[in-house]
Amino acid sequence: MRMSLRACMWAPARLCRSKPMASSAHSIKAVAPATARPSTGTLRRRSPRMRSAFPYLLVAPAVLYLLAITLYPGIFAIYQSLFVVRFVKWTWAGLDNYERILQDAEFWAALWNTIIVGGLSLGLQTVIALALAYFAYRDPLIRGWRIIYLMPMLFMPSAVAFMWKLAFNDGRVISDLLMTIGLTHGNVDWLASVWLARLTLIVADVWQWTPFLFIIFVAALQGQDQEIEEAARLDGASWPAIFWNISLPMMRPVIVVAVTLRGIDITTMFTNVYIMTQGSPGGATETMSFFIYRQGFRMFNFGYASAASVLMLAMTILIAQTLVKRAFRSGRS
Amino acid sequence: MASIQLNNIVKRFGSFVGVENMSLDIADEEFLVLLGPSGCGKTTTMRMIAGLEHPTGGQIVIGGEVVNEIDARDRDVAMVFQGYALYPNMSIYDNIRFPLRMRKVPADQHDRLIRRAAEMVELGAFLDRKPGALSGGQRQRAALARAVVREPQVFLMDEPLSNLDAKLRASMRVQIKHMQRQLKVTTVYVTHDQIEAMTLADRIVIMNRGIIQQVGTPDEIYSDPANTFVAGFIGSPPMNLLAGEARDGIFRSEGIEVPCPRTVTGSVTLGIRPEDCTVGGGHLQGMVYGVEPTGDITYLTVQTGKRAVEIKAARDFRAPIDTPISIGFDLSRLYFFSENGERIRRPA
Amino acid sequence: MASVRRDRSERLWLRYLILGSWAIVCLAPMLWFLTIGFRPRTEIIVPHPIYWPSWSLDAWRLLVSDWPIASYLRNSVVAVAGSVVIDLVLAIPAAYALSRYEFRGREDIGFYILSTRMMAPAIVAVPIFFLFKNIGLLDTVWALMLVYAAINLSLVTWIIRSYMLDIPKELEDAARTDGAGDLTILREIIIPACLPGIITAAVIAAIFAINEFLFTLLIASTSKAYTMSVALANFTGGSDGIIYNAIALVSFLAFVPILIVVILIQKHLSRGLTMGAVKG
Repeated sequence: MRMSLRACMWAPARLCRSKPMASSAHSIKAVAPATARPSTGTLRRRSPRMRSAFPYLLVAPAVLYLLAITLYPGIFAIYQSLFVVRFVKWTWAGLDNYERILQDAEFWAALWNTIIVGGLSLGLQTVIALALAYFAYRDPLIRGWRIIYLMPMLFMPSAVAFMWKLAFNDGRVISDLLMTIGLTHGNVDWLASVWLARLTLIVADVWQWTPFLFIIFVAALQGQDQEIEEAARLDGASWPAIFWNISLPMMRPVIVVAVTLRGIDITTMFTNVYIMTQGSPGGATETMSFFIYRQGFRMFNFGYASAASVLMLAMTILIAQTLVKRAFRSGRS
Repeated sequence: MASIQLNNIVKRFGSFVGVENMSLDIADEEFLVLLGPSGCGKTTTMRMIAGLEHPTGGQIVIGGEVVNEIDARDRDVAMVFQGYALYPNMSIYDNIRFPLRMRKVPADQHDRLIRRAAEMVELGAFLDRKPGALSGGQRQRAALARAVVREPQVFLMDEPLSNLDAKLRASMRVQIKHMQRQLKVTTVYVTHDQIEAMTLADRIVIMNRGIIQQVGTPDEIYSDPANTFVAGFIGSPPMNLLAGEARDGIFRSEGIEVPCPRTVTGSVTLGIRPEDCTVGGGHLQGMVYGVEPTGDITYLTVQTGKRAVEIKAARDFRAPIDTPISIGFDLSRLYFFSENGERIRRPA
Repeated sequence: MASVRRDRSERLWLRYLILGSWAIVCLAPMLWFLTIGFRPRTEIIVPHPIYWPSWSLDAWRLLVSDWPIASYLRNSVVAVAGSVVIDLVLAIPAAYALSRYEFRGREDIGFYILSTRMMAPAIVAVPIFFLFKNIGLLDTVWALMLVYAAINLSLVTWIIRSYMLDIPKELEDAARTDGAGDLTILREIIIPACLPGIITAAVIAAIFAINEFLFTLLIASTSKAYTMSVALANFTGGSDGIIYNAIALVSFLAFVPILIVVILIQKHLSRGLTMGAVKG
């Protein structure tokens, strides 16, 4: 209020004092020659070519760095996948590695495990994160909830894997708790059963990464136009109805982006497998990443591991070019 | 400080034509306003003068020098933006100082120049604040100070007042005009607000779809519009434009019959300003559609056929809606436009 | 009116039941794991879990005396900080070009940078291993630094790009007419204006680098280049088995500073995690 009053009074005040003003303007003029007006010689006349090359120069270092770390390994992997590598000895094998790998039950199992463990884990995370976000975003204590829910994500993944390994297997805590509430009678051997072993991986992943989706969903819900919610409220809609009919469709692009990013990370799952199960029982929890690692760095079948890498790379490119591209296009608009 | 010439300027964005073959002479020390609806090419024209856009064809001359190839940073023009464009991370002092630093003005002169510029816009007390801590009007004054601090050859102002509320806008308008007269810097001012254009300009350039519609003093633009676009754009409410037939010195349209020059024949458009109409008289028969008193005058909307005609009536005029009413025109202030929208002028 | 009020209170107990339950799910394992850090080894791997342990500082003594923990920490810090610096130096100009200039192929270049984030570390693990072996960088902090930088470069570029897109074009135009060149505009206007984005990107990149496991495992084959994350995994074998209490203690020592930093940038977290696709 004071501001606008001041501003309104401003013009007449200026008029009253127009005389000293004029003189001050003159003194500005007097010093004007000192302001270096560039002479024609120093003018930068940039050629159109220079102007159009500039942005390329800016992105070049980053792109070259990434090419070095992706394109070079890609080519190397394709090349190496054509050999049988025994320590330093490379023997030409043509497409043998690929032929073998496509008939390798372990490879297909790894692909299937990645899809099943990753898919279940991703689905659970998405549902839990959405439900939590729905209840939390209007809550007065949202800042507190967010910090608590955030914590698992900030734990080192390797430590999280050790924690759940201890809870499930070595420390028998989960079994003990289940016995207390009467769900089981004896001690559960989590690594003896295919589905129980997979369950431990899923629990660890859901526990650590649900926050990722939660944080994003809450931000999206909080960023939505409150007037729309208020209008729906006045139209007589309940909160679940508002969420289901208005908020959820509006956050669709956000959900797509977040779930896509999370999904990509899940397919690369390695740490938990390495620490918690090592693929057991009988390879039922071996993921693609762990398969490649085991072939390359345990069995030293580098050519074979490279062939698996190339196949996985092809799948990644396919997914990136279709799903992810679309997700980010729609997410940005 | 400098005159500006635009010679056959063309600007295309892909297949979209922003500015089409535009030529314009701007005199030294002139205050020129580019006026038009959004998307008419006025801002593009200004940005080409600034060097922020490069014309597809044609020549831009500032102070006698062709500047097409010269970067914006070296053109010695100062620009004031609609959103103020103050650097958010710098204090007002550093904002005003920025052009001095960039143009390598000796450092020992900075402080004096900054304080003088801030004094001109009465912002001396706010120099160490960040832009975020200022009101809209103060920010706009800071942007002005940043533009004047280095006495540029040309001022460019891109809708500088459109983010301010109405009261503030009026007082800033006076200030800008005063300052321009003081500093005598050639100024190009872009706006879509005809009041700003009329009050500020030495000359107004009206643009539409990248083409100049008319160039003239505010008086000329108002009382001698070149075509229906200008006639329908200027004035508040603007001129009534009524299509009809003229024959044997009489213009007829639904509910309208007025004498016209015998030289006007065929399908033409009649133009009449709301203030040149009076209640009573017999040129137009219609029904009262709406009556809007504003205090000093009353706006009357009359419906004839499917058209609405705006009239400025006396302040105490009142009438219930849907009653028949008769309107008279000031016959000395009728305008006629041909079918293609061009003004039909009386033969000299 | 009465029905509205009842409706609200019903929702409230359900809301707090669900939110509270998940809070327990989050916190309980961590608190339990924290107690592991302060137990003697004899009370960790037992037939029947012990919930109220006798406290001991065994793990702490072990860390200080047996493990070169300071050197692991230093490796982590050098590799992570170095990688973030590399990322910022490469990403800021790239983000500037991607957000502020029109040029042919801009979309494709941007997407290429983004897509490198989608590559599983395992895919490039074998070739990268050979690459560093051949140039003699295997088992060094420098190799870790280069790899971490590569992993996070796409993320950092996209986050910063997103913040730069938010800076009004007018600001740049103003600077240009004020006489500034491209690089001056970047240095004096753009970078200060998107500093929150740069900080967010740096923090998230640092966390991902600290957590990186597979490459670190492959590259750091002796304790010379062990970082915290891999040191944990590597001190599991041998006759002692897995030394859980030390692992728990180390993980909390790493957790606390990360939590503090993340709380400081909380407002920007959702935007950073989605590489700018979701504005928080």
